[in-house]
Amino acid sequence: MEKFVYIALFAPLVSSLFAALFGMSPRKTFVGVIASLLLATSFLASAILAAFVYQTGGAIHVTMMEWIGAGDLMIPFGFIVDQVSVTMMTVVTLVSTVVHIYSIGYMDHDKSFNRFFSYLSAFVFSMMVLVMSDNFAGLFIGWEGVGVCSWLLIGFWYHKPDVSPEENPSISPSWAANEAFIVNRIADLGMLIGIFILYWNTGSLQYDVVFAAIPHLSHGILFAAAIALFIGAMGKSAQFPLHTWLTDAMEGPTPVSALIHAATMVTAGVFLVIRANPLYMVTPEVSYFIASLGTFVAFFAASMALVNRDLKRIIAFSTLSQLGYMFAAAGLGAYWIALFHLAAHAFFKALLFLGAGNVMHAMHDELDIFKMGGLKKSMKWTYIYMGVASLALAGIPPLAGFFSKDAIIETAFNEGTLILWIILVVTAGMTAFYSFRQVFLTFEGDERYKAFGIHPHEMYKFVLIAMSPLAILAVIAGFFQGTFHTFIIELLPNYEMSEHTHHYVLLLGAIVLAFAVGGIVLAWVMYGKGLKRNEKLENSFVYKLLKNQYYIPQFYAEFISKPYAMISTMMWKSVDMKIIDTTVDGIANLFYSGGDKTRKMQTGNLSSYLNWMGIGLFVLLFIAAISTVIG
Amino acid sequence: MIGLNHYLILSGLLFAIGLVGVVRRKNLLMLFFATEVMLNAANIAFAATSHYYGDLTGQMFAFFIVAVAASEVAVGLGLLIVLYKKHGSLDLDGLSTMKG
Amino acid sequence: MDNILSVLVFFPAIAALLGFVVDKKSARVYGISVASVELLLALWLWMSFDSGNAGMQFVELVPLVPDFGINYYLGVDGISLFIVVMAALMTLLGMIGMSIEKDIKNMIISLLFLEMTMIGVFVALDAIVFYLFWELSLVPMLYIIGAWGGPLRVYASIKFFLYTFTGSLIMLVGMLFMAYLYHSISGIWSFSITDWYALVLPVSYQIWLFLAFFVGFAIKVPMFPFHTWLPYAHGQAPTIGSVILAAVLLKMGTYGFVRFSLPLFPDASVMMIMPIAVISIIMIIYTAMVAYAQEDMKQVIAYSSVSHMGVIVLGTFAMNAEGISGSIFLMLSHGIVSGALFMLVGVIYDRRHTKLMSEFGGLASVMPKYAVIFGIMLMASVGLPLTIGFVGEFLVLLGFYKVSMIGTILAGTSIIIGAIYMLSLYKKSFFGPLTNKANEKLLDLNGKELMSLVPLVAIVIWLGVYPKPVLAPIDNSVKALLTFMEEKAQTPEAKERIVVSTTMKEAR
Repeated sequence: MEKFVYIALFAPLVSSLFAALFGMSPRKTFVGVIASLLLATSFLASAILAAFVYQTGGAIHVTMMEWIGAGDLMIPFGFIVDQVSVTMMTVVTLVSTVVHIYSIGYMDHDKSFNRFFSYLSAFVFSMMVLVMSDNFAGLFIGWEGVGVCSWLLIGFWYHKPDVSPEENPSISPSWAANEAFIVNRIADLGMLIGIFILYWNTGSLQYDVVFAAIPHLSHGILFAAAIALFIGAMGKSAQFPLHTWLTDAMEGPTPVSALIHAATMVTAGVFLVIRANPLYMVTPEVSYFIASLGTFVAFFAASMALVNRDLKRIIAFSTLSQLGYMFAAAGLGAYWIALFHLAAHAFFKALLFLGAGNVMHAMHDELDIFKMGGLKKSMKWTYIYMGVASLALAGIPPLAGFFSKDAIIETAFNEGTLILWIILVVTAGMTAFYSFRQVFLTFEGDERYKAFGIHPHEMYKFVLIAMSPLAILAVIAGFFQGTFHTFIIELLPNYEMSEHTHHYVLLLGAIVLAFAVGGIVLAWVMYGKGLKRNEKLENSFVYKLLKNQYYIPQFYAEFISKPYAMISTMMWKSVDMKIIDTTVDGIANLFYSGGDKTRKMQTGNLSSYLNWMGIGLFVLLFIAAISTVIG
Repeated sequence: MIGLNHYLILSGLLFAIGLVGVVRRKNLLMLFFATEVMLNAANIAFAATSHYYGDLTGQMFAFFIVAVAASEVAVGLGLLIVLYKKHGSLDLDGLSTMKG
Repeated sequence: MDNILSVLVFFPAIAALLGFVVDKKSARVYGISVASVELLLALWLWMSFDSGNAGMQFVELVPLVPDFGINYYLGVDGISLFIVVMAALMTLLGMIGMSIEKDIKNMIISLLFLEMTMIGVFVALDAIVFYLFWELSLVPMLYIIGAWGGPLRVYASIKFFLYTFTGSLIMLVGMLFMAYLYHSISGIWSFSITDWYALVLPVSYQIWLFLAFFVGFAIKVPMFPFHTWLPYAHGQAPTIGSVILAAVLLKMGTYGFVRFSLPLFPDASVMMIMPIAVISIIMIIYTAMVAYAQEDMKQVIAYSSVSHMGVIVLGTFAMNAEGISGSIFLMLSHGIVSGALFMLVGVIYDRRHTKLMSEFGGLASVMPKYAVIFGIMLMASVGLPLTIGFVGEFLVLLGFYKVSMIGTILAGTSIIIGAIYMLSLYKKSFFGPLTNKANEKLLDLNGKELMSLVPLVAIVIWLGVYPKPVLAPIDNSVKALLTFMEEKAQTPEAKERIVVSTTMKEAR
């Protein structure tokens, strides 16, 4: 089985290096095809591993070689394929394969076609390292690796100029890329600190050693480690207050948004919490904080999605919101439900994004849903796909989202955290509303795009076929909940609803469903027949607040970026050049001017020299006398 | 009875006279004399202390100084004559070719 | 070859002397061949180095002034070996990539002399010989900056010379006092460092001596607030000068801490951890912020050098194997990465004769290869895992965590603010539309430049993925150093602070 581990891991790397060979040459379709084939190979290997782990119930652990060894620290390149990592591997490689094939069509006209595949495969490789690593340092390799690939891919169209935030909230792809990288770095520092805490208290970074040592550690240390690691997770999964980069990351090509900023990379934070569950189980206050923050973000992001007009940003907010759900589940101890929602979400959210990509392709990169409408005629399949994905997202039975999201909401009820439960239920309604607001504004109603002279056309057929696995999974994934449960709890702690909750299960489900259906109906009523703009609503304070993302990006720009730049310039011009360097030059000048002044003694007149000599003699005698008296 | 102190005071006085001469005189020749006075002040001090301690080293040193002074006069006067021939005066204020 | 070290030190010098008779046209080829031979010798030294042996190897000892115990005394251990190899490598690659045409012969000769002094510093085990090479290294550098530099070159070179010279004089006083102490305790004169190691000094003496050495090293590093000579030197120096200065000359200071300060004054070093950590952290954050404010590409990298040197100093004073090994590894990685970055800035300067970022923008579309290599070096500079930059930085921060958590968090901000200034440099120069007409016809890297940069890219990735061949000998020698320090330390705080063995307090 070891060889499948290596195939699954290194096929994307080979793909990336292969594409990189052609990185500077013009578009070559075969690069995309070969990259997709290699990714498919990786998926197959992952699937075989999944079957193996499912059958044997054991894990495959390989150690490739030593990486860093210094002092007592020993970090190997070690990989573990167990229930959790194999789930992630399968999901990642499946979505990646679909996205790779999709990109052959989507990036059709881009002159940097080959470079795109190189980055995309490099991302998959980093993601595989992240999920497969058997130690925290290896996880960190993948963690930073996906960060860099995300930087490269968000900034893929680097040639676009910076524009004002009013014109485009993300300013430019390169700006958004830098923002994403830097915000992630802030969180990475937290993660590094967590790693250091664990190392100095357990003497290793291997998961098994660290988790085995947890019962012997004091609570304070565990608390600090849990918080520090979670800060890392917050950055990668874009949790408040480090969330702004995710919506700006939509500047990247849409396949990137589907793969990185919806299905895989952003779930790395959830994965970390699930992976480190022994740590979070013994720190209930941190877990509760995670659950609360997750719930808050679920609501917070959904609220911003309600009014946004940008097709991709709406989906990005919804991703943010669903990540909140996952954290809520993980924080409440239902790790397997979090992982299940992660997988289901990956399928339908990637599908949704790829559908949005089709729309963009058809609309010549127009993203404003107010300028769309009535696209169902020309884009039937895309409508179906996006509709299915939105139904899944809204949690309509029997689609995947219903099973996974409902389980999370049920967990909140089961834990007795009623406030969280209420917020999550309301958010479910909001989710349904904004998803269908978007779908209806895009596909139903009057054809507003005609005013802009756009002639939409459906995506290539092979692309639509390539998307079908995601669509199928978005529909049926929920049916495997039971199987997944038995499979995953061999590794993760089991979580089951209590008798009390069982009693209410139908009622709870009905409430959630009522909210979801209510949301859809409301969306239909408001937008189903075309766009009716409500001036009064759009000018209200709340609407503006939501539209401006609670003014948080402006706040960051005004109170963090600008002061930072200002202080930096001040440090350079005032402190470094004026104070420090002037002091140094001042000391040098002191000697210089001292020499210049005393130079006048050198009159060339022997008698004045002799006078100075006489004075010198007396000074010396005086000093000699003084020193005799003193000492 | 004339003791060591008297000699030393004499030596000090002579030295001071010489020093004043060195500092105040503008004529190089006079300056030369002044240095001779200072050297001889040192000689007196040497000879006196040598006698006081009964150690001949001091007197030997005095002779040494006399020898040095003699050779200095020989060389120095030669230089002075050359200087006089060149500038026509031995006034110090007129000689400032070493001005920095 | 028992006297390989002497050959390594004096081969470039002799070659430089012969260089005076070499024809001007072939001077460049001559220089490159000499530097290649030197690199091969250095690699041969590495191959024959016994990595299991933590002590000094290839030792040579010839008495020079026996009455005062001054010997021609050379040797390498894991700590100095790789810096020697790096010095030889960077000299060669710098020469290959060099674009200077004016007085090329003088440049080659200066570089070869400089190479002698650099290698001499790192292999000298006698304080006087060390000091000799240390000071001699200033002369060729003074000439390189002063003769081939920018408009302010005279000011910059004199500032560089006088500033570092002042520091080293104070260090010399420390050395003389150390020898005097050695004489008054043991009755014999000796300037050999290994003899001094054996000397157990009272703590009060240690502090004064530590400070004397500290001034010399701190100015060389350069540590805040002694760093202001560096931006001038880098700003005015020709590319090759900056490469050598950043890659090797700055490492003399941090190497001095490891070679002198730690083993000679273990108690004083432990007492000084906090003040030095504070200076280092100020240095890391402050210069990184200043780097962000720069308008000139080269100044960004110059200030980033200071910031990274802060991390190195921090690691040196972590007093555990992780931190010190990491800091020595970081010396190498910083040498390679900043050297490469300076070469890269030189590439664009050769084409445009400006280094102002506002003049650029959109370079990635006209110079893709250049952008790729710059990107890799940038990522190595911000410490991306699987590049050379991560290993050292990770180990240093990990090691320093043992000393102070708050300190580590503050120093760790270097990974954030490092990303800020580097990425904004990259964005300003490489991203965005091509607005400046002058940039439209820029040529991508030529063969010469690729030859000097590609090996560095290879090393950056190789040592990032598999640092063991370098890290293991370093770690070995560092552990020996720490064991020695722990035994030598007198105060209980020092004994407790210096961590050698596999003691994990919480786990026990």
